[in-house]
Amino acid sequence: MPASSIIGEADLHALVDGELDAERRRKVEDHLLAHPGDAALVEGWRRQNAALRAAFEPAALEMLPLSLKDAATRTHAPQQGPIETGAIHWGRPGASRPSQRLDEIRASRRRQAALSTVLTLLAGAAVAGLAALVFAGRNEAPRPPVSAVLTQSYAGRASLTYATYASDARPVEIEVSRKGELVAWLAERVGFSRPPNLAGLGLRLIGGRVLPGVAAPAGLLIYERANGARLGLYFERAEAAGAPLAPRAAQGVTAIEWRAGGFAFVLVGPLAQEEMQAAAESAATAIAAAPDEKR
Amino acid sequence: MGKKAEILERLGGIAPALRRYSRALCAGAGHTLSDELVQSALQSVGARIRARELRPADLQEARLEAYAALTASAGKRLTDASRPTPRHPPIVHGLAELSLDDRAALLLVSLEGMGYDAAARVLGIRREALLAQLMRARAKLGVVGLPPADAESGARRAASHLRIVK
Repeated sequence: MPASSIIGEADLHALVDGELDAERRRKVEDHLLAHPGDAALVEGWRRQNAALRAAFEPAALEMLPLSLKDAATRTHAPQQGPIETGAIHWGRPGASRPSQRLDEIRASRRRQAALSTVLTLLAGAAVAGLAALVFAGRNEAPRPPVSAVLTQSYAGRASLTYATYASDARPVEIEVSRKGELVAWLAERVGFSRPPNLAGLGLRLIGGRVLPGVAAPAGLLIYERANGARLGLYFERAEAAGAPLAPRAAQGVTAIEWRAGGFAFVLVGPLAQEEMQAAAESAATAIAAAPDEKR
Repeated sequence: MGKKAEILERLGGIAPALRRYSRALCAGAGHTLSDELVQSALQSVGARIRARELRPADLQEARLEAYAALTASAGKRLTDASRPTPRHPPIVHGLAELSLDDRAALLLVSLEGMGYDAAARVLGIRREALLAQLMRARAKLGVVGLPPADAESGARRAASHLRIVK
């Protein structure tokens, strides 16, 4: 009986998968020379393998989300993680907590939300009644100005700031060539002064400025790509427990918000949402790794 | 640093590969779910090592445990998962058509480069059963970009499949 007649399909798979010893491998390869149909099968499986690697190898090269860093050594999630966000995919708030704890937190938040809603409705009714008395006889009820609505959230303020400055001929107050001065200024006025390095994503810091915030001055750093696209990193002091908004995309601009170290950070820019998310992850990682700024 | 601590420390280093496997195993079901599976697997193995429920001899053994934990939890989490969308490449749609067992066998061997014994251990099955799953997966997936193999070669595969049973 010729050697090739005892070559089964299992041998062909084993050849593709490197499971044969040298002698058996030589026999199978000889078999393939005489059996083009089997050789085509083997070639097809090798093409499958190549297609799988091409499709999924990039996942192994992506930057790890914070939720996966040190996951094996983490005994429990910190009460307040380095980043708390509903915007970036690693950061579903408390994602690394045990599910029971998560349920408790959610139930607590639901209770707080319900109580808050009731109180808001009562307060609203009282204000509405008072307003009705005050404005009785007038044709229109008073409405908050549009700008007030737009600036109610960090992301809203960041988007307005970005729209104002990013396209300006002078987008920054102090350029990165005077980085020392910029850092000292931001540290003094805003309390955060460590511009994350996004050069790995092709984003070059061009400078920054101080802005009016709600409770304290806010800051804006502007990054630029080689093609001229600009991203703004807005930061303002914020309650860590606040719930960040989901990513928002409007008028070609995406805003991604997260919280860290007592600040709300919002990355705003015109890149594709996946690229914006990658940039936000990179910035958040760099910020989380930096020592605490003065509080 | 003790051996246990060293294994725990180095276990984090497999996260990128575990993520690649998870992404493929989810077959278009979403990156969030995929990452949750990785996180859950790493935390589970880490906790078992710390609790001494698991005493891996080396990192390789801990690695296989992590793959096993991920595969097991994927079975529970992927039942109602979303399907791939048109933007996914054909290979992802092909994977989604495979049973989870066949998909896992194929990915452990073809994507993760595991030997048959290691992959069988991850799936908790015998080597022969792993090979049968691998054959089924490759036959169903076909050659990417080409139609699946014809009936004649399918019949041949069935016959040769019988030959591998010891």
